[in-house]
Amino acid sequence: MRNEILRMERVTYIEDEVVKLKDFNLQIYQGEVMGLLTVTSHGKSSVLKILARNLPLYDGYVYYGGEKVNTWKDSRRTANRLSIIQEKSSLADNLNIADNIFVLRPGFRQWVIHSRILNRQLEPFFKDIGLDIPTDKEVAELSAFERIVVEILRAVIMGYRLIVLDEVGALVSNHELEKLHAIIRHYADKGFSFLYVCSHLEEIVSICDRCALFSNGRILKVMGLEEMQHDPPVTYMSEYNDMVRFHAKKREADHEEKEILFQWDGYGESHADSFHFQVHKGECIAVQILDAGAMEEMRQILTGDLLPEKGQIRLRGKKSRICGNQGIAVVQERATKTMIFPELDYMNNLCICLAEKVPSIWHDHRLRNSIFREYASVLGEEVFYMPVENLSEKQKYQLVYTRILLQKPEILFCIQPFMGADLVHRMYIWSMLEKFLDKGISVVILSLNLSDSLAMADRLLILDKGGRGGELQREEFSGIMPPLPWSHSYPAIRKQPEGNR
Amino acid sequence: MKLRDKLKYLSNRALAAGTIISALLTLFACILILLANKEQVPWWCAGLLTAVAVLFPVTCWFWLVRPYFRCEQMMNRFLEGYLFSEKDDMELLNLTPATRQQMQMVDQILRSPQYMDLNKRQAQYLALQNQINPHFLYNTLESIRGEAIIAGLDGVADMTEALARFFRYTITKVENLVSVEEELDNCETYFGIQKYRFGDRLKLHIQYDVEEYERIMNCRIPKLTLQPILENSIIHGIELKIEGGNLYIRFQCTGDRLIIRISDDGVGMDEMTLARLNQKLGKSTKTIHDEEEKQGGIALVNVNNRIHLLFGDEYGMHVYSVAGEGTDVEITIPILNDDRQIKNRSVFA
Repeated sequence: MRNEILRMERVTYIEDEVVKLKDFNLQIYQGEVMGLLTVTSHGKSSVLKILARNLPLYDGYVYYGGEKVNTWKDSRRTANRLSIIQEKSSLADNLNIADNIFVLRPGFRQWVIHSRILNRQLEPFFKDIGLDIPTDKEVAELSAFERIVVEILRAVIMGYRLIVLDEVGALVSNHELEKLHAIIRHYADKGFSFLYVCSHLEEIVSICDRCALFSNGRILKVMGLEEMQHDPPVTYMSEYNDMVRFHAKKREADHEEKEILFQWDGYGESHADSFHFQVHKGECIAVQILDAGAMEEMRQILTGDLLPEKGQIRLRGKKSRICGNQGIAVVQERATKTMIFPELDYMNNLCICLAEKVPSIWHDHRLRNSIFREYASVLGEEVFYMPVENLSEKQKYQLVYTRILLQKPEILFCIQPFMGADLVHRMYIWSMLEKFLDKGISVVILSLNLSDSLAMADRLLILDKGGRGGELQREEFSGIMPPLPWSHSYPAIRKQPEGNR
Repeated sequence: MKLRDKLKYLSNRALAAGTIISALLTLFACILILLANKEQVPWWCAGLLTAVAVLFPVTCWFWLVRPYFRCEQMMNRFLEGYLFSEKDDMELLNLTPATRQQMQMVDQILRSPQYMDLNKRQAQYLALQNQINPHFLYNTLESIRGEAIIAGLDGVADMTEALARFFRYTITKVENLVSVEEELDNCETYFGIQKYRFGDRLKLHIQYDVEEYERIMNCRIPKLTLQPILENSIIHGIELKIEGGNLYIRFQCTGDRLIIRISDDGVGMDEMTLARLNQKLGKSTKTIHDEEEKQGGIALVNVNNRIHLLFGDEYGMHVYSVAGEGTDVEITIPILNDDRQIKNRSVFA
């Protein structure tokens, strides 16, 4: 007999007259890591909201820990005793780890905080999972991986029976992900249950016992481990697989040696100053940065928040800068949130990158009309009259990438472009990146973990704290440790299947 | 809806009147507080009106508006085809004594033994697709079996025996609940008959935790719960596949529920068809009258209806499927070992 921790039975949830969840069924058992594979993210946030707080349902029942906590008849809006770990930290940044775990606990009633005792109480938990960080370290100084582990520990110590992990794989490097999975498995064996929300089947297969395929607010299929490993439901992403296969064939056929377009020579402050790499014209490079600090510095340099004095970058051999350079474009992470300007209308949002090249763009109606005529058929006429906040996620992605297309850069830097995107959006991002490559624009994808970006890349650069962790050509990709999507499509894996590193 | 149309309804008029009264009371309370501040009226007077201004909307909300909204929600759900799952649900329908009586009457009709009987008959009909005289049928089948044995046709004899056993179970066992073991036996009989048609193209796998065998097999479930689904899986899932396929019946127990999952690795169905089917399963009252039903899925709806009627709408059936990847039908039933434990025994005639 299995103990049921969570059961959502035929849940229909409507928010602002939009059906977010429809006949949604989900069961999680004690000690189980349940995957939620999101094909489309519509309704995903509603699942998390209903789990966290019992919001009024249109239909259905929610049981947590064997108790009926929410029904369509009676929603108490009470909080369930579970933890949801997301990109945004739920810890207090200005407190240390021990304070976050013990002092902020609802039942904590001591007037005097004995830090030494709290730290001593925390140490066995750290030792238990092999975590080697000082217990009195401030949360603000923690890396994403450490923060996630601390949040898991807090949930464990608070006795929460269910821990939800929402897209955490995108926040940590592959090596950290392995460690995180080991910690999850450790606690699952102790009877804690996990809901692992992720849009990559490979990642889910590597940790989950069962997995539910989620699309448009519904569960389409629930698979056991054996089915996930040996007979995964590949048809839901066959279109994406075809895109990847087509891209791989196209890139394999192109062996022409291209000139060096871009050079990064130690351009940085404290981390990126040891990075040196070159990008050829029309090439796609995946840059895996193993150090979270270095990733943050690269992000700051590319977005113009940091102007390093050390080192230089060269575009076509000439010393250059990133900001204000028409030849270099940057797509920031979570582009639909960070690259949309709500105070501007759609047309201005679209033309913003042209301002330097064509200063008259703001008042040249002929030019703007010509852009409208050219892109209305692709983007849809109606979007030009909509406030940008009201655009759908897909339309926002379209706006960001079309803006870059209008800019016509020579090289495009993408910071974790696939992060937080569901399958439909990942396919769109992929098609746009492919379009850039077809136009001869070089693409550099910076990411902590590889997933989609590796399949797109011609070359992989691994950069660690010291500067260079290694360089792999496409033929050598099969040697990378799983979980790795489309690993079967890399030619070398067929030749030497035991080549895993 | 326009404001004029909205105000046609008494409920909206009452709501509007209440809002206006609350707003006026708040306004008067504010004026009195200002006057009291200038010492033109006594403070107790301002305090009293403020208290009334606060208490009036709060009382109206908890005493009138919330129960009314709940009642309206119940009515809307009923109109959309959802059945009231519990007797207590009727307590929420206290709009007027006549409305309540009216709804009680409708609910009684839907929960009546006649309605249950209708579902049962439908199930039998679906299983046999015909009205056949059982005794004539058994006798004929026995005769065929006898002839087959004499002629040395063991295959024909076995097939005839299986067919007779299947018909006997479907027609003659009239009680409402059977044990899982009996239902599973019938499934195996049915599968045996289908094997003659499909040969090695069709495989049945039954999976359960060995330690829980006794508990699972003794559970009481509505008769003809598994076989119609198995039949559905073969007809709509496996039959359309050239290379054949596998059928799985998996049993799992939690503290108070038995979960039965019938899976096939057949052709599956697209997202829209799946959504429509699950929507049908969620609603109980539309099953007989809907034109849509002619499009298929009657067997599933029928089984689901009987589970809802017997155990309440917290239990029932849910379908999972991906086109090209097979279909899973999950049935959730309370673990009961005795027919007397059933929540809604009144549906037994």
